[in-house]
Amino acid sequence: MSELVLAHVTKTFGGLTAVKDVSFTVKARSIFGVIGPNGAGKTTVFNLVTGVYRADPGGSMRLGEIELGALAPARIAAVGVARTFQNIRVFAKLTVLENVLVACETTRKTGLGAAALRTPGFFDDEDDMRARALSLLRVFELDALADQAPTSLSYGNQRRLEIARAMMLRPRLLLLDEPAAGMNYGEAEGLKRQIAWLRDEFDLTVVLVEHNMQVVMGVCERIHVLDHGESIAEGTPDEVRRDPKVIAAYLGDDTEEGA
Amino acid sequence: MKGVRSLAPFAVFAAVAFALELSLPRLVADSSVRQLLMLGGVNVLIALSLNVINGMAGQFSIGHAGFVGIGAYASAVVVANLQLKFPAELTFARSLWLVPAGALTGALVSAVFGLLVGLPSLRLRGDYLAIVTLGFAEIFRLLISTAAASETGGPGALLAKLGGQNGYAGPNELGVPQPAGPFWIFFAVMCVTLLALRLKFSGWGRALRALREDEIAAAAVGVDPTRYKVTSFVLSALGAGLAGGLLSIMRDGSPITQPDNFSFQMSFDAITMVILGGSGSVSGSILGAIFVTFTIKLIELLQATDAAQALKASHEWLDLNALRMVVYAAVLIAVMILRPEGVLGERELFQRRRGER
Repeated sequence: MSELVLAHVTKTFGGLTAVKDVSFTVKARSIFGVIGPNGAGKTTVFNLVTGVYRADPGGSMRLGEIELGALAPARIAAVGVARTFQNIRVFAKLTVLENVLVACETTRKTGLGAAALRTPGFFDDEDDMRARALSLLRVFELDALADQAPTSLSYGNQRRLEIARAMMLRPRLLLLDEPAAGMNYGEAEGLKRQIAWLRDEFDLTVVLVEHNMQVVMGVCERIHVLDHGESIAEGTPDEVRRDPKVIAAYLGDDTEEGA
Repeated sequence: MKGVRSLAPFAVFAAVAFALELSLPRLVADSSVRQLLMLGGVNVLIALSLNVINGMAGQFSIGHAGFVGIGAYASAVVVANLQLKFPAELTFARSLWLVPAGALTGALVSAVFGLLVGLPSLRLRGDYLAIVTLGFAEIFRLLISTAAASETGGPGALLAKLGGQNGYAGPNELGVPQPAGPFWIFFAVMCVTLLALRLKFSGWGRALRALREDEIAAAAVGVDPTRYKVTSFVLSALGAGLAGGLLSIMRDGSPITQPDNFSFQMSFDAITMVILGGSGSVSGSILGAIFVTFTIKLIELLQATDAAQALKASHEWLDLNALRMVVYAAVLIAVMILRPEGVLGERELFQRRRGER
């Protein structure tokens, strides 16, 4: 079963083609990696899938049966696509817990009227969401920091907070944009385990953009390689590692030795 | 019963406001002081409503007077006509339906304009939104003040019925009835304060604050920027319309609703209240509103003193009303240096742990 299907997706910014005719298929419940040198268009692909940018006409992006191309970002989140950001985007003036709670808006059962009148339903809703948010924070070992300002958290913890916030959406597809950036070896190992665990526990599909080869090669089942906005290879980690085009474009001599 | 408990505060507010209605004339003999207190209440409503859009949503509207004015005119027209159709003495019992009819019409009409202005202009950001809101408020004021009585047909004639530059004094020019006593002003202040707090500490308020911090990240977790911003704009206009609706029919207030009361000066005062008290803080907005109201009064009193009068007599070019601007400027500069986020920042007085309530 394919979960996310990109077909002939192109994005140009003025004269610059950031993504050119990219197609790939991500199987449901798989962990899929998108790699490539700096400026290859990886993050642009995420921004297209999540609606931050509109793709040029012609291609298609489907999540199951849903065409994502025409939807607004908030709508795409509501149909089950959650993401994290390469440059961390936590809500600085909200607490850690509130950061996660913001992602409840799509599943909140009661509206403004209930909030204004503080109906029993409002409290049930709020208690429900709090319990869910706290259990997610526990998963990412952030529960003790729930009332802190997110800016006081370490870099790795801020990244984990972003993942917890994304998971609050109950997504079917989780897009992780360089989740291991700024993490040390031990933290990256922990992240690998967490990504695999998330997939199993929440029954979702994970796509990650990552520079850290330790993480990509260790956790992804399939990897798609971009260079200058174009697809140059796709396969299992072993296949990609051996692909001469990939080595030439991206991995370079050092990584070839390491592999 | 939880359901009953959630409505209980409003009953308490009604009781307290009723007690004020009965006792205020005895406690405060001077009607101008009573007027000042009630004006302070209206200013609190104005600040609380502006705080939704400028504080919580992080937009920058500098045309709040437009929404207050629309509410004021709508309410004045409704109440004056109702009073003319069903003439009777303005008792408290009568105010029980006359005031809600006027004030709620004002709030609703203003909210409709909030939607009309909000929908297109929330695609704009920062300065551009500010320009649109200012333009809207000025167009409203000028449309009313320049409508000439000589117009014979079309929308011009309708607008001219609002009295043009001289102000609206009811269909018979005898002045707008003023049924809204302390009960209504302070009941509205207490209710709106509670509602503002409840909205701030709800999922909606949280989403709005998140949107203010980072629009892309908020949209990525399902917060639709347009929907939340337009809702905040409409709620803000609703509150402003309510404030205006009460202002134009306020006891001891002015029986004539004049367009120049809703000039940029009022918008600016409202911004001062919110920024001084702390953008995003409900109690901060209240403190700001009280401060601004009393500063205005204090300067008026200062002007009446012999020393000030003598000074004015010897220096004719002195405009002591402008002194208010000097005081504001000094206070604003001091606050911006000492506490750039306003006196309270985004926090509340007596706030328990963050996010609770």
